[in-house]
Amino acid sequence: MHIHELSLTNYRNYQTLHLNFDDKINVIIGENAQGKTNLMESIYVLAFSKSHRTPRDKELIHWDQEYAKIKGSVMKRNQKFPLEIQFSNKGKKAKLNHIEQKRLSDYIGALNVVMFAPEDLNLVKGSPQIRRRFIDMEIGQIQPIYIYHLGQYQKVLKQRNYLLKNLQRNYQADRTMLRVLTEQLIEHAAVIIEKRFIFLELLRKWAGPIHQGISRGIEQLKITYNASIDVSEADNREKIVNIYHDKFSKLEDREVERGNTLIGPHRDDLLFYVNEKDVQTYGSQGQQRTTALSLKLAEIELIKHEVGEYPILLLDDVLSELDDYRQSHLLHTIQGKIQTFVSTTSVDGIQHETLDKAELFRVESGTIV
Amino acid sequence: MYYPEPISKLIDSFTKLPGIGPKTAVRLAFFVLDMKEDDVLDFAKSLVNAKRELTHCSICGHITDQDPCSICQDETRDKTYICVVQDPKDVIAMEKMKEFGGKYHVLHGAISPMDGIGPEDINVPSLLNRLKDEEVKELILATNPNIEGEATAMYISRLVKPSGVKITRIAHGLPMGGDLEYADEVTLSKALEGRREL
Repeated sequence: MHIHELSLTNYRNYQTLHLNFDDKINVIIGENAQGKTNLMESIYVLAFSKSHRTPRDKELIHWDQEYAKIKGSVMKRNQKFPLEIQFSNKGKKAKLNHIEQKRLSDYIGALNVVMFAPEDLNLVKGSPQIRRRFIDMEIGQIQPIYIYHLGQYQKVLKQRNYLLKNLQRNYQADRTMLRVLTEQLIEHAAVIIEKRFIFLELLRKWAGPIHQGISRGIEQLKITYNASIDVSEADNREKIVNIYHDKFSKLEDREVERGNTLIGPHRDDLLFYVNEKDVQTYGSQGQQRTTALSLKLAEIELIKHEVGEYPILLLDDVLSELDDYRQSHLLHTIQGKIQTFVSTTSVDGIQHETLDKAELFRVESGTIV
Repeated sequence: MYYPEPISKLIDSFTKLPGIGPKTAVRLAFFVLDMKEDDVLDFAKSLVNAKRELTHCSICGHITDQDPCSICQDETRDKTYICVVQDPKDVIAMEKMKEFGGKYHVLHGAISPMDGIGPEDINVPSLLNRLKDEEVKELILATNPNIEGEATAMYISRLVKPSGVKITRIAHGLPMGGDLEYADEVTLSKALEGRREL
């Protein structure tokens, strides 16, 4: 999969920009605060219809303008098609092959992008919420129905928490409705957990060998799912439903006392171990970085496995943070097969044959010189 | 204020209707000024009468101008089947079908703790009383296929189950006359779940 052309209109600090890209490596060089990340972000937005940096689309529009537009020409499975997304006060419009897509789920997935940015270190170091978002986004890209179950789960959870708060004030009240909502919650929770297990199995398959490669064979990466119930990944949906039922009925009084739902996929987490040690707590900065990198590279392979073609890789300011060996391992992995965008303040520290053949773009305050 | 008081009051009244914004309200209000006086009087009378003369049927909760409503009074209908719906409009949709010969029960809403709507706030207690007094064989739950409608159906079924009345839920799935390829993933997966043997 490649993106050949990109046009930006009133996007962040770019007023108008038109670029043609190389099929292999594109390097974006510039001082701080010139617009490197904005350019990388625009490709991400073109793929996902929202930014990884902000939930507010308004920020994407140039400060004194009414609208912002991103257009790209994409080559996928030997077919060339345009993608276009426009933001204004009235919301966003996404066009795939000139046709407006009313449902964004019909648009997302046309262009597959994997981004690796400094903040991805939080995948390992940060709160469980970030890791849940990571798996939810990934599964959602592959299976749209997962998003539906996740959305329904959130809605039932909200209803259930409201009801629990009411019951907290009125302990003796009838709990039939609570049990109904519990049943509804379990129905979606079981599907979510089951799909997460299947995804993890795939993620492990790729991340393990990749991590070994980056660490020169001395580190073993193990990924486990830390569920709020006692469940095994071998359990089928029926078994998961039963386990939830038992646990919820045991917890009922406590949940009412607390006025909150205490278990479920929204409380689960992923744990990463390197050589049997928990990386989040005991790993060095380098090990945490390697783990995050392994996950991202595994994501690339996963998309290749599911979609049949490699996604586009965006490396935002991360190359300089890796040591020489990791740098060249990374560049070696992507060499020739994945269209990659690298942003950096300078190419001096990066010695690799792949970069010699790269297309260079120099960014200076919202223009390419 | 740019408008004389009578017209600004009229504009204000129009904005209370669903789907009418301030601009449409102004347009409608000025249109009324140009209407014939008789038409305006008829219009006003219909509005008041609709509100005054219509009540909710004391048995099923459907909107009616006589109590009990014509469906509840109809002796030719089968009293042993009750179809539970959320809204009077749902009764009319069912009636248009001309297939269902049983009686109805209108809940006027669905249970939603988030919005502060509990079972007592909708027509559930009167349904339970009906089940005690009348000879009912089957309760058909036709609430909407969303979270609140589904939860309401499950709640009613839990309450009624012990009494031994047969409880059924209407099916979800593909619309008739449609193409499979245009169905969304969720509907399709529900349709697959509810498949039956031929």
